Amino acid sequence: MLRNRRTEITTALILIAPFLIVYIWLFLWPTVQMIEMSFQKAPLIGKGKWTGFANYIRMFKDATFLIAVKNTAYFVLLSVVPGTVVALSIAMMVSRLKGRLQSLILAAFFLPYVLPVTVVYVIWDWMTNVQFGMMQGLITFLVGEPVNIWRTVDWFMPGVAILTIWWTNGFSILLFLAGLRNIPAELYEAAQLDGATRRQIFLRITFPLLWPITVLCLTIQLILQLKIFDQVYLFAQGGQTRATMVLVQYIFEQAFQKNNGGYSATLAVALFVIVLVFSLLQFQILRIRGQR
Amino acid sequence: MKLSIKAALMAAVMFGTGAQAMETVVWWDFLGGGDGVRMKKLIEDFNTEHKDAIEIQATTLDWGVPFYSKVQTSAAVGEGPDMMTYHASRIPLAVSQESLTEITAEDMATMGLSADSFAPATWEAVQVNGKQYAVPFDTHPIVLYYNKDLLEKSGLIGADGLPTGLTGLENFNAALAKLKADGNEWSIAQVTADGNFAFRTVYSLLCQQDGQIGNDGDWFPGDSADKLATSIGVISDWVKAGYNPPKTDYPSTVALFTSGKVPFMINGVWEVPTMDDLNKQGKLFNWGAIEIPALFNHTCTYSDSHSFAIPNNVDKPVTPEKHAAVLEVIKWMEARSLFWATAGHIPANKAVTESAEYKAMQPQATYAPLTANGVFDPKSVLAGVASPLFDAAGNAITPAMNGELDPADAAAQMRDELNGM
Repeated sequence: MLRNRRTEITTALILIAPFLIVYIWLFLWPTVQMIEMSFQKAPLIGKGKWTGFANYIRMFKDATFLIAVKNTAYFVLLSVVPGTVVALSIAMMVSRLKGRLQSLILAAFFLPYVLPVTVVYVIWDWMTNVQFGMMQGLITFLVGEPVNIWRTVDWFMPGVAILTIWWTNGFSILLFLAGLRNIPAELYEAAQLDGATRRQIFLRITFPLLWPITVLCLTIQLILQLKIFDQVYLFAQGGQTRATMVLVQYIFEQAFQKNNGGYSATLAVALFVIVLVFSLLQFQILRIRGQR
Repeated sequence: MKLSIKAALMAAVMFGTGAQAMETVVWWDFLGGGDGVRMKKLIEDFNTEHKDAIEIQATTLDWGVPFYSKVQTSAAVGEGPDMMTYHASRIPLAVSQESLTEITAEDMATMGLSADSFAPATWEAVQVNGKQYAVPFDTHPIVLYYNKDLLEKSGLIGADGLPTGLTGLENFNAALAKLKADGNEWSIAQVTADGNFAFRTVYSLLCQQDGQIGNDGDWFPGDSADKLATSIGVISDWVKAGYNPPKTDYPSTVALFTSGKVPFMINGVWEVPTMDDLNKQGKLFNWGAIEIPALFNHTCTYSDSHSFAIPNNVDKPVTPEKHAAVLEVIKWMEARSLFWATAGHIPANKAVTESAEYKAMQPQATYAPLTANGVFDPKSVLAGVASPLFDAAGNAITPAMNGELDPADAAAQMRDELNGM
């Protein structure tokens, strides 16, 4: 069939136009403006003055920025891999169950995921309340005295990591479960005939075949956790916010509390670069390992 | 057929104009607690009284940074409300962001109010560079709540039925020691998990020593930083001695007090309705609230003021009718603030606090005179509730109160952080 290339291109353009317009207008254009603003001394709203690299120089000398980077990295370390390991183990246990019981248990693990962060905050705040919280019994048993987790700097990030894993694990569990169901049963039968141990079955069959899912989970988690904000903001408010500062929180503070639009844009660019570099790096590394 | 269409159109037009005569006032507030319930009642009453003339359409938003971010961003694009509640302490920042409209002398005259209607410190708190940006509605300081039954047992209630022997730090601490010795689990509940909140107490004690919070560049002039350390030390000593529970958050202090586990509590006047309601249900002991005693040179209490402000909606000029309606709302609210006093807040309008009805209200009338000794936030864009000043307090005072940081270091940290901004 004869086709006119020009009309084909026109049709294609018309068809993707709605997406392109929305994408350029609501995503690309604000990004460009953000980068522009990062070179200005500007309020949150309104015109700014060009100051060259002043904001970037300030950022690298800013002790709070360094604390925020360190805390964000620490949180990622505490949540991404441990969260994925927990999700994988829960998924493997759940996959052994059958029928209704499986749905029920799965629902139980998925339930926290549908909660809004404010509800998660209220639940955990009460469970861990230093005067009346039910978890203080466990904490007193472990360390000998009640601890206000959200006001003790050393406990803060691990605490947030645990509740974040509790909160967001449901989704990873679902992904892993789907992956587990896709592994053909014949493989296991054959391995059993060959006398493979359970450990060997997991290491040689289950885990390699789940690798793509694991990569996906880790990447989603990494990007999500680099952007940690709500939990830290809610639990730290009123306390030592400086010591527990994370990147997005610092951007928020500079923009909305201190009205430093320009500097907060600089911080946002820094976060953008960090997320980009880390997710590309992680994806590449994990892919190479997976091909081996 | 045609005629009926015409008639319908006509009716629609007439109906339309009829509806236009009614002004709506879009109202935003941040009053989510017991006071919010009372404000809703006031708004309802207003709407009933002004049926077919003015209708308030109220929305309650989240207190603190979320509220003020929303006001700032929406006013900048002309999407703000017609009026809103505002903390006096946040006005300097709002003025620098150009998000408030000036209240003119003419406006004040329309409402029948003037500088003389308010306490001097409260009036001063809504002015920036000689211009008025809000109408004070109340002052809401912190007060000392007490459990009368427990104090009586320890002999701390005087002949006038009020707590006695609390003046001077030594006496006050002796009273706390007595209460502890008499078998109370704790003696006093001051929020120790939030330096941000505890700052109200620390600032009051600083003012009692004639210390000051200055302004940009020189936040603690003279020996104020030393006095700040002394103030923080008062609370950390309470924690150290076991008088005050450590790292305890706001709801827990209220729960400890209302369950009778602690005879004193330092908290905002806005907790009065909590006590009132519990008392009415017969679930509370005899209680009262007094001005924070003079632990140092004289009494002085940190206060802030809820006020009414009109946003500067960019590119959306206000019609004279709408402006008149807004002024009518403020005027009406100011006149009815006696009911607002049931929320614990001290009405800013002196005509109300001087009325016989107010003087019969307890414990409000007992602590109301403290407005004469009030100290407000310094006039800075970095001060005010949920501001960088409060955050700096949270960072420095939280660990200091709980013995993790020396009070002197905390004061220095707070000074350096603020001076560096």
